[in-house]
Amino acid sequence: MARPGARVADSKKINSELFTLTYGALVSQLLKDYENAEDVNRQLDRMGYNIGVRIIEDFLARTSTARCTDMRDTAEKIQSAFKMYLGVNPTVTSWSPASDEFSLLFDQNPMTEFVELPDSCLSLKYCNLFCGIIRGACEMVQLEVTSWFVQDSLKGDPTTELRVKFVKKLEDAMPAGED
Amino acid sequence: MTIHNLYMFDRHGVLMYYGEWNRKRQSGMTIEEEAKLMYGMLYSIKNFVNKMSPVDVREGFQCYRTSKYALNYFETPSGVKFVMNTDLHSQGVRELLQQINSQIYIEYCVKNPAYKSGETIQCELFKTKLDELVKQSPIFKS
Amino acid sequence: MAIYSIFILSKSGGLIYQYDHTSIKIEVEKTFTFPLDIQLVEQNKRIVVAFGQKDGINVGHNLLAINGIQLNGTLLDDGREVSPFLADQSNFPLSLKFGRPKLSTNEKIFLASMFYPLFAIASQLSPEIKSSGIEVLEADTFKLHCFQTLTGIKFLIVAEPKQLNVEHLLRRVYELYADFALKNPFYSLEMPIRCEQFESNLQLLLEQEKSGINNV
Repeated sequence: MARPGARVADSKKINSELFTLTYGALVSQLLKDYENAEDVNRQLDRMGYNIGVRIIEDFLARTSTARCTDMRDTAEKIQSAFKMYLGVNPTVTSWSPASDEFSLLFDQNPMTEFVELPDSCLSLKYCNLFCGIIRGACEMVQLEVTSWFVQDSLKGDPTTELRVKFVKKLEDAMPAGED
Repeated sequence: MTIHNLYMFDRHGVLMYYGEWNRKRQSGMTIEEEAKLMYGMLYSIKNFVNKMSPVDVREGFQCYRTSKYALNYFETPSGVKFVMNTDLHSQGVRELLQQINSQIYIEYCVKNPAYKSGETIQCELFKTKLDELVKQSPIFKS
Repeated sequence: MAIYSIFILSKSGGLIYQYDHTSIKIEVEKTFTFPLDIQLVEQNKRIVVAFGQKDGINVGHNLLAINGIQLNGTLLDDGREVSPFLADQSNFPLSLKFGRPKLSTNEKIFLASMFYPLFAIASQLSPEIKSSGIEVLEADTFKLHCFQTLTGIKFLIVAEPKQLNVEHLLRRVYELYADFALKNPFYSLEMPIRCEQFESNLQLLLEQEKSGINNV
């Protein structure tokens, strides 16, 4: 047995600043390596996707949640996941008339607490990781969505707004006995 | 409690009889195709069970349950197979299948000189008696 | 009550993890004189009891050893075929060991890939609308419990028919998978799980189950 104990550490005991510092170091290193904010956005989205396809299982295992039947359901689940993993409670708002698109408003975001964007990288989407996570997690439960930042308080916007749009249900990927 | 339907196969996998009482969904196939798929599945399940069992099996496969129905299985030593789909709460379905075998199939088919084994059961008496027995069963009455 | 084994199937139906918890050894050794009063046949490169079940040696058992020396399929350890050897009176009396064969890794992979379509067909043949696939499969000797996640991964537990609480156990195994396989950055999705922490925590869970800690 390598490390005993079922759950290694109490998540509340992990210093969240170390986490945000690590993320900051990662983003700034990516900027150095790619020298281009667009490429960094893409990399962050890709990393997020890889987190999303894994973290969804943790979310399902812990919440015993049922399959979403509409986008409002999905919005609620995404909201609760932010609460669970980031300790923030974004507001769900700005529904499209067809109820297939909504926004998450973050009035606080621990990831950006100490961040001040230099003028040289205004096109950087610092938290683009979130977009990838949402996309990856939804894909694993057979929902194709796109997600992007509309406003970013790091760039002087009044709030941070993340938009999520339903694309289609991935019927082919639906496991047997679930349709 | 509910009985949905009954399949009877002979030992070569030919569908001898199909009866339906309270079926709420059709598979979208012809009954011949459905019977082939059902028999193929049973054949695989039997193989699967014999291999998977940690100790020597005696009777082997008995039933499976999904979220909506239970498939109950009974096979005579001569290889006649009875499959009855019921709801999830039904008890004593295997006993009912044994009764169908001994009181209906043996009596009205096997002992009927006009019946040839390996053929679809056409005998009217078999059908009415089977229907009676099923409808009298506490599993059928809800 | 006992949990016999655990299988985890990936979304595409491949076996990504298997663990035998309680295994039951069924072996009988007995001295035989000529002629052998048990009918043996060769099947898939094994010597199998076909008829003449007796003294705990059952139909389907394999011939495992002769005079304490393990067989290599249908061959003796010196390379000679078993069948002519057993037909020769001058070799008797012999001590033969029979037993129920254990599943090889290949057979486990095969069984897992066999379950995948069975699960799907059970849903397809449902007389009721919106039915899942097989959740519980019962035989006289064991019960197989299956839990399919919303993402399509299947967790199977093979247990004694009377074992309680298996549904709960399946959910706990799912949590362990989420924790110790998926959170390990070096574990790739859909690939066999070779994570020490996953295995040790699974063992711990099953031990607790045995001692009744989880039976709340």
